[in-house]
This record gives sequence, C-alpha cells and structure tokens, in this order.
Amino acid sequence: MARLVRKSPSLCTDLPLDNDDISTKLNLLRKLLTSCFGPTGKLKQVHNNVGGHVVTTSTSSVLLPAVSSSQPFVNLIKTSILNHVSRFSDCGLFAAALCLALTERAKQSGLGGNVAIGLNQHLLSLCVGYLQRDDCGCKVKLDFCSSQNLMTLARSVISSKPACVLTEQETLHLSRLAVQAFLLTVPCDSPGTVTLGRTVTVPVEGHSVLNSAVFPGLLVDITDAIYPIKAGTLNSNLLCTVLFSASLAGDLSELGDGIIEVHDGADPDSQILDQLLEIGKQVVKDEVKLFLCQKVIHPVLQQYLRSQGIIVIERLGMSLMEPLIQMTGAQPVAALHTTLPVKAYGKVRELTLRQFGSKTMLQLHPPGESAICTMVLCHRNETMLSELKVVCLKTEHVLRLTLREPSALLGGGCTETHLAAYIRHKSMSKAAETALELGCSQTEYHLGTEVFCRSLESVAAALEHNGGNSLIDLTHAHHWILPADVMREYGEESFGFCGCGLVESSPSKRWTYLNTNYTEFSPESLCGNATQQPRVLDSFVAKLNALQVAVETANLALDVRYIIQDVN
Amino acid sequence: VMLGSTVINHQQHVGLQKLAALAGVTHSYLGPDKNLKFIQDDTSGGSALVCSCFRVLENLELTCAVGQLVYETVQAHQKVYNTGSGCLLFLAGAWSRAVLECLQRGISVSHIISAMSEGMDICLDVFRKYSISTDGLGVVQSESWTETSHGFGLQLSKKPIKAVSQAMDHLQGTGNAGHKPPNTGGQRKIKLSRHFCEAKSRNVSAASQPKPLNVAHIAEGLTHGCVSAMKLVVEINQIQSKNHRNISCSAFDIIKVVTCVLPGLPEDQSCVLPGCIVLLSAEQALVAHDLQEQHLKVALINGDLSDSFCHLGFRRPAGMQHVKSKMPLSSSKEEEWMVTVLALLLKLEVNLILISGLANQKMIQRCCRHRILVVERVKASVLKAFADDSGGVPVTYVTQLNKQCVGTQAKILIWRDLGSTGTEFSTAVNISSGANSGLATVILTSCVHGKLQALEDQFWSCAYRLHHALIDKSVLPGGGVIEMLCIHHLQKQAGQCTEGAANPYRGVVLCLMADGLIDYITTVMFNTGRLSKVKARTLVSQQLQDFNGHVGTAAKFSQLFLDSGTEDTAFISTVKPVRAPPMTIYDNVSVKQEAWRKALDLVFLVLQTDAEIITGIDQRTDGFIF
Repeated sequence: MARLVRKSPSLCTDLPLDNDDISTKLNLLRKLLTSCFGPTGKLKQVHNNVGGHVVTTSTSSVLLPAVSSSQPFVNLIKTSILNHVSRFSDCGLFAAALCLALTERAKQSGLGGNVAIGLNQHLLSLCVGYLQRDDCGCKVKLDFCSSQNLMTLARSVISSKPACVLTEQETLHLSRLAVQAFLLTVPCDSPGTVTLGRTVTVPVEGHSVLNSAVFPGLLVDITDAIYPIKAGTLNSNLLCTVLFSASLAGDLSELGDGIIEVHDGADPDSQILDQLLEIGKQVVKDEVKLFLCQKVIHPVLQQYLRSQGIIVIERLGMSLMEPLIQMTGAQPVAALHTTLPVKAYGKVRELTLRQFGSKTMLQLHPPGESAICTMVLCHRNETMLSELKVVCLKTEHVLRLTLREPSALLGGGCTETHLAAYIRHKSMSKAAETALELGCSQTEYHLGTEVFCRSLESVAAALEHNGGNSLIDLTHAHHWILPADVMREYGEESFGFCGCGLVESSPSKRWTYLNTNYTEFSPESLCGNATQQPRVLDSFVAKLNALQVAVETANLALDVRYIIQDVN
Repeated sequence: VMLGSTVINHQQHVGLQKLAALAGVTHSYLGPDKNLKFIQDDTSGGSALVCSCFRVLENLELTCAVGQLVYETVQAHQKVYNTGSGCLLFLAGAWSRAVLECLQRGISVSHIISAMSEGMDICLDVFRKYSISTDGLGVVQSESWTETSHGFGLQLSKKPIKAVSQAMDHLQGTGNAGHKPPNTGGQRKIKLSRHFCEAKSRNVSAASQPKPLNVAHIAEGLTHGCVSAMKLVVEINQIQSKNHRNISCSAFDIIKVVTCVLPGLPEDQSCVLPGCIVLLSAEQALVAHDLQEQHLKVALINGDLSDSFCHLGFRRPAGMQHVKSKMPLSSSKEEEWMVTVLALLLKLEVNLILISGLANQKMIQRCCRHRILVVERVKASVLKAFADDSGGVPVTYVTQLNKQCVGTQAKILIWRDLGSTGTEFSTAVNISSGANSGLATVILTSCVHGKLQALEDQFWSCAYRLHHALIDKSVLPGGGVIEMLCIHHLQKQAGQCTEGAANPYRGVVLCLMADGLIDYITTVMFNTGRLSKVKARTLVSQQLQDFNGHVGTAAKFSQLFLDSGTEDTAFISTVKPVRAPPMTIYDNVSVKQEAWRKALDLVFLVLQTDAEIITGIDQRTDGFIF
C-alpha cells in the first residue's frame, strides 16, 4: 500500500544578515577563527561526542571541516574559505577573519547593501592595484640568490601554528629542511617545460624534531616486512624496476559484487596464481631486480621472486605511486597481462636501509637527476606531529607559490595596517569624483572606506591574544604590539620592532592606537632601506587571493536576500 | 541526520584543572614503593588490579578531550619506553598547577610558555652535564664504592657533549645546503645523505672501542624497587652475553625476550630460561616427549594453518557459486587439503611447525599422530630468530613449503609438568633453534592471578630500563639526585633575572616549575611510607639550602633518600648495625628526558587551547550549536 507523506513547505529566511540566529552564529564563527590566528593563537580541540581521537589544532584546513552547521549561510562562507585553502594552503584564517569582519561591520554601519558591495569592490581593486605595483610599500622582492627570504617565509608559516609546540631551534631546523626540500624539487637542468618534483612526507612519532631530515629519492616503510631486505648488495648497477598498481593478491575482488558461477573442479584461485607466476617468470627473464606493488602481492609469487634474487616490496599505497612513477620512469602496470611491455620498466640507482626509531625504511635513490625527495618528520607525539605535517605541506606549497610570483608580503599585521593607511589616503584624495562614479554620497563613501579599513586593521589586531594593544606608527603605517603585562613606565620605547621586524622604534616615531582615528597620511615605503631584513613574511600569491576571496565572499553575503531551505 | 558541532568555552582554565586532577591518580605509583589500586566497574561488577599509571588510564573510561589527549600521550610513551609514564603524568599535573598559579598572577600565556621552555632547556642541560657514561661504570665500583659515589664529577661522560656538537655540525651542514641558490650547479653537490653517511661513519668509529660494561651494576642501579624483576633481566643478559661473547659483551636483545605467564605457582618460582617456552596440551606433550633430544626439522608459518586461511589483503568474492556437475565426493575440501599438507610435511620430514596464527584442530591432531608437533601463537620475533638460526624461511601458506624453507637443528626439551597447577595445559616445553640464538623466556609465576599482569609490566619496564641505558650509553644519577640538581639550577637561574629583561616573569615561572619537581621528590619520599609529606618537604628544602651545586652533595642526599627508600637497604640496616655499602641508583637519560618534555608539551597544548569543538550528533545543551 502506497503511503503518502505530506511534504513540509520550504523554509524561507528573509534578509539573513538581519536574522538574530544567523548573525550570532557568524559572530561566533568569527571569534572562533580569529582566536586561532597567528603564532600566539589559541588552539581548539576537535573531537566527536563519543570520545574519539582528539585533534588539537589552529589550522583552518583542519578546523573548518569540523565546523558543520545546519545553517546554509554559515556553510556558504565556510566553503568559500575552504576553497581558497585547498588551492593556496595559506592565509585561510586571514580570509575568514577579514570576510566575517567586513560582513559584520558593513551590516552595523547601516550602509545599503548595494552601496557597500560597490565600495568594497572598488577598494579591493585599489588594494590589488597597489599590491601589484613595483613600488608597493609592503611587498618584498624575493631574491633567489640567497635563501634568507625563503627561510624567513618558511619560518613564518611554521611558527604561525603553536600546536606544533616547537622551540626556536626546532623551528629553524624545520625551516631549513622545508627550503632544502623545496630546492630539491626544482629540477636543475631539464630543458623545455619545467615540471616541479615532489616532496613526500613520512611522519615518525616519538622522536625529537631535530631528527627530522630530507633525503633525495623516496623512502619506503618496510618495518613490517618479515623477510629481511639486504640493501646495498646490488648498488653497483642501475636496478631494473617494475611497478604494479593492480593488486597481485590473487583474488577476484576487482570484479565487483556480481555472482560468479564456477564449474566444480575448476579452481579460480589457483588459475589466477598461475597467471601471477607467469608474470613472475617474465619479470625474471627481463632481469628485473626490484618488484614494487601498490597493493598486496600473493605470498607464493613473492616467494618465487625472492628465490630469484628480486627485491619485493608490496603495499606501497596510493600516495607513493605518483612520485615513484616520476622518479623511476616506470609505467604502472594496471592489468595482469602476461606480456609486460619493456618500456614499462623503470630504473632505481641503489637502495639504502635507514632506521628511524622503530621504523625501518628503504631509500630508493633516483637513477639520475630527479626532483623527488622525502621529508621525514619527527615529533614527540601524535597530536603535534599531525599538526606539523599539515604545516609542512603548507610551507612547501607557499614556497612553490614564490615561483609563480617572486614576492612576499610583510607579515605580523604590517601589510594590513599599511594597506589600510594607503586606502585611507588614496580614497581621501579623490573622494568626490569616486563617490560620483560609484553612485553614492560622499558620506557613504567615507563610511564604506572606514568599514573596509577598520576590518583590515581588525585582522592585524587579531594577532594579539594576550590582552595587549595594537598600534600603528604614523610614518610607515606598520603594526606594533604593546603587550599587556609590560610595565607602563617603559612606555613606547619598549616596542623594539614592528610586527614584521623591518622598522625599529625610535624616539622620533609617533604611534596611535589602531582603533582610534588618525589623520590620513601617505605611508612611506622602506624598500630602499636594506639595513633590516623582515623577520616575518607572508606568501604574496596566497594573501592576494585570500584578500580577493574575503571581499568577494563578504559581498556575496551582503547580497543574499533570501535563503530558501528544503527541509524534507 | 543533521550534523551539528558544539563549542564549549572554558571560562577559567578548566583544561589545566582537569589535567591536574587526572594526574592525581598517579601519586601512589611514583618511586620504588608502589601501592596497588583496585579499579571496579560498578555496572559489570568486573575489577582490575593495577600497578602502573598506564594501566590505570587503560582501565578508565576517559571521554573528555583532555583525558583523551593524556591517554594518547602516555600510550605513545609507553609503547616506546615501557617505563616512566607515572613520572610523565605526575609532572604534567604538577606543572599545570604551576601554570594555573601563573595565570592567577596575571602572567601572559606567551611569557609562561617562553619561560617554561627555557626551564626545560635548563633541565635538559643539567641532564647532559651530569649524565654518567656507562663505559667502565661499576668497574671501579666493585673496588670501593665511596670513591665513585663522591666522584661522579670525574666520571662525567664527554660523549653526550660530543654527540651534541656533532649534531650541531650536522645542522650547520644542512643549513649551508639551504643557503645555496637553486640555479647554480653547485647546489646538487650538497646532499643531505652525504652528511648523514658521514655522521654515521663517525659514530661507528667512535663506538668501535668497547670497554667492559658492568651490566649487572647498571641494572642494579636501575632496579627502582623491582628487585625480583630486575634479577630476571640480569639473568637474561647473562644468557644472551654468553652467546654473543665474541661480538659484543653488552648485548641485550630485548626483541628476543619472551614472557610466559604461569598462574598458580608461588612467585619465587619465576625464572629465566634460554630458548622459547611454550605450553602444550596433553596430546601434544606426548609428541614432544618422543621428539626430545633429537635434531628436528622445523617449518615456520607466518599465518594460520588451516584450509580456509587467506593471506592479508586477499578478499574472497562474495558471489561465488559452484556449479556441480556430479555428486559431491565423499571427501570434503578440508579433508583433501589435510591429506595434501600431511603428505608434504612427511615428504619434507618436518617434525616441528611454528605458527604465528592458529591451526586447524583436526590438523593438529593428525600431525600428532604422525609425530609432528604444532605450536600456535608464536611471536613474530621468535619466528625471526628461528629463521635466522635454523636456516628456515617463514612462509604464509603451508603449501609453500619446500626443502629450502625448512630449518634444521631445532631442539625440544620438556621443561616441566604442569599437571598439578590446574591449567588447561599439561606441559611446558622449551623449544630452541639449536644454535645460540639469544632467545630467552621469562617465566612469571604468581598464586594470585590478578597480580600476573602487574608482574609482567614490572618485568618489561625493568627490561626496557636496561635496554635504554645500554642504547643511551649513559645514565643519570638517580634517587632524586638529578631532580635536586635541576631544582637547584632552576632556582639559581630564577635568581639571576635582570631587570628589564625580555620576560619580566621568568624568575617566577622558573621557581614555580622547580616547585613542581620538589613536589615530585616529596611524593616519592612520602610513598616510602617512612616520612610524612611535611617532613619530606622540610628535608628537601634543607638539602637545597645546604646544597652548593656539587654532585657530591647531591649524592649524599641520594644516600639519605635511599636509606628511607628501597626495602633491601632498609632491611640490611636493621639487621646489621654497621652500614652495608648502599647501592647507587641510576635513572634513564632518554626516558626521563622524553617523559619531562612530553609532560610539558601536554601542559602547553592544554594551556593554549581555549575551546573544544565536538562534532557529530549533539545531545548536550550547555554548548553552542552552530
């Protein structure tokens, strides 16, 4: 009997930003994410409600997927930020903080939606235009002749995640490794199109961070292998290598769930095994010395291959396949054909056994110049190691982005305050015309600019979590932090350096608190002055995109009139 | 299902308070005198007798995030070191109390973290400075103990320092590699592997002049109250070093040690035997009797001995249907398999099969009839030892066996009859691979079944203490001495704070950190049952005042500590009015270092956490739901 259930009507929310529930949720999301921001950010423990594994993190790429909401509006913003993170790895929290601050402030300012959107768009293009200029005051050209800037860039990313619990020395060590791994993945002298190599990360728990290291080639975990692998016996010649992506377990599992009818007397298992042994025979004939398989190899086949003096490694896993193909030049064999094409074979120069605590690894050396390397990451416990792994992947990505655009932005909040000062100055000079062009009144224009600049500044201020005050100097418009527990009598002399470390405090400098009004000025550039090196740098490409994503997402949020939810 | 996530805000630092509270359970497990605890489950009525911090945590149901984090940390530590978990958790608790105190005084999180990391560096520095090389340790000891105990300073190892400077060299090297521009040809010249190879070869050459090691003396120092367990460890070392005399006299191969637990026998029957002891049923024991005193051919199977067994990763398709064209024969598939296997075994003249998994019961019986002994559940390390010594090759399927795979020269020896002990097994048999494999079995016995787990844990922690001491090639002065030295240095550093330094609260934080360690020492002293908490604290602070930073004084303290410490010395001193030479106590370098660092890591992680995000279907109401 058919049963008819009445569909419940769709749920429609008018002007979602005016909705109390939604605005509280957005506010909470902003607080949650900004409290994670920067090297002194607060960590979050993510776990499920049945007492599962606890993840301690302050990284947006780990945190945001855990925040699932029933509210589509929250998910809209979340997805947008996650999209940015998946493409650029860095600056996810920056994008989220800016986007949510812009949305909140624009709403509070009482500006009409269309006006705010138009203004944000205009100011964004001002920012982007300025950042792309050669004389931009908050940009540093990266010099590939020295690793100094690359190291600073790597260090800034690594030190921005306190859940890694690293000492100064450990941070430095990892920054070096990250830069080194990056340099190893840039091919040296290959003509034509340059393809970047890869860094494979191998985490090892329970060891000091200072034991982390980078190796050329690939490291394969053979800890569980019951058969000892005698490395170094064959290292004089190139090892002919075959790589299987198909399972050689000898089962029929890849046929799916259908029903197979087998005649009695026929034994499919042994027939497949015969097929496998045929492969073995061919491989022996072709003088293969290294037999690799992504999945399981049937023990009988393994025994046969070993008896012929072939080194067999199974269960390599999906993630090692791409780099293995790149390094050895082997074509992965996906089917159990009896004849293997000769061109499918690859080469490995030699094998070395390496021991990392309880882990035994076999290092496969590349046959020639190859841009594949392995980074062994060690840390004392799983929690910190998993954060470290995420951070190192991020660092690798950030370093790679420098090849696309060899620049970096000043970190420590200085880019944000500098940009805000620049926008204030710029928008003041041609206020009347621009307002006319955008079709709004001058008051609205000023209000919108203020919303935009304050939002930028609020992101810089979010770097401080211990109750300190954020200030801006009135010459270079860099960001300064006055810690809460510094004795008052030291006053402003105790500043030392600005957020990025480029400007040193001097008696002639004047400061103002970030949330106060100051007369607009044209921030001076420091680029000609090469005496100081910046101590904190952000990825140019990632931050520029994060800025665009943040403003565009905020504009989209401001533009939403109705939310229609099908609740069936 | 609608997913929601909740954020719980911690107003005061609830996380640190939880950590401190959880650490409370470890108090009675610190030091050489431990108290057992009963954990009872009210719902099921089950109970467990626990004797270590790790076992407590294992038996508790920890659902909060901090509890989970603690358990994961302790588990990771236990997996590698098998000892020191109590110290880890105690210090995590003591230091989180220190941090709470700092927070109350309005010290910012970043200042706390920087000062405490510095404090940890100070302590690790003390470890390095006062670590004692195991080379030649205890050789002087046997001649006159007084000289050594006061002369620690003279024996301080130079090795760790050398190792550190080597590590620094290495760092420098990699740093240089990083500095090279990518586009010059020179970059490829500097490869990390080269540095590694160099470092390795240097290490090898440094270690190639072995000095006589007094393992028994080191082990005695590492006893930490588990006298009988450590005695077993030393016996193992004697067995193993007898075999390895030519290679290295300090051999202690922990992988080749197996424990065998026998309930129902008095505890003093615990012992160590060379080879591998396995328990057999009555039927199998008969076969073993027949096979005694013979050179046996052994097959090693890494899997199950059964017709339905498949190797890992093999999936049998679900929808397999057999189309039968004729009536099924009388013999089943299993029967067919058994006949083939037995024929193969007889052809290869195998007498002994060691299996890492389980065996088909019918197969075992059939093997028995043909005088083939099947032993199940053999540890992987034992299989490996047999493979190394007897020349056999482990196979996954029994059908893979061929002449090359079968090992020779294995031996069986009936060790003892267990008929009277009321177990399901009738006989304990010693299986050895003929050659001196270094395999050793520890028989642990107790009349109290519930205590066996604790005995086994104690044995392993002693074994690992010795193992790590031999790996580290150095030990720390134990019995509270190293803690006293750390407290002294922390307090000294705290006093040296200059005005206007980068961190104005450095002194306060370092002092509070030292207080945590004082707490640790006094708890250990209190656990001996001879001192009250207050008395212990006065004693410690008195010692600290008289303390001039010299190891000799610290060693004196350790004697004082010891007098009220281990049972043996206390016993001796009551019997004999003349003091017997007290033994020296050592601690492990790497174990202690890692436990302390992990404790501080835990505190830092929890300190910096301000919110919990709970994913999944939400049933709570006190959080905020997105």
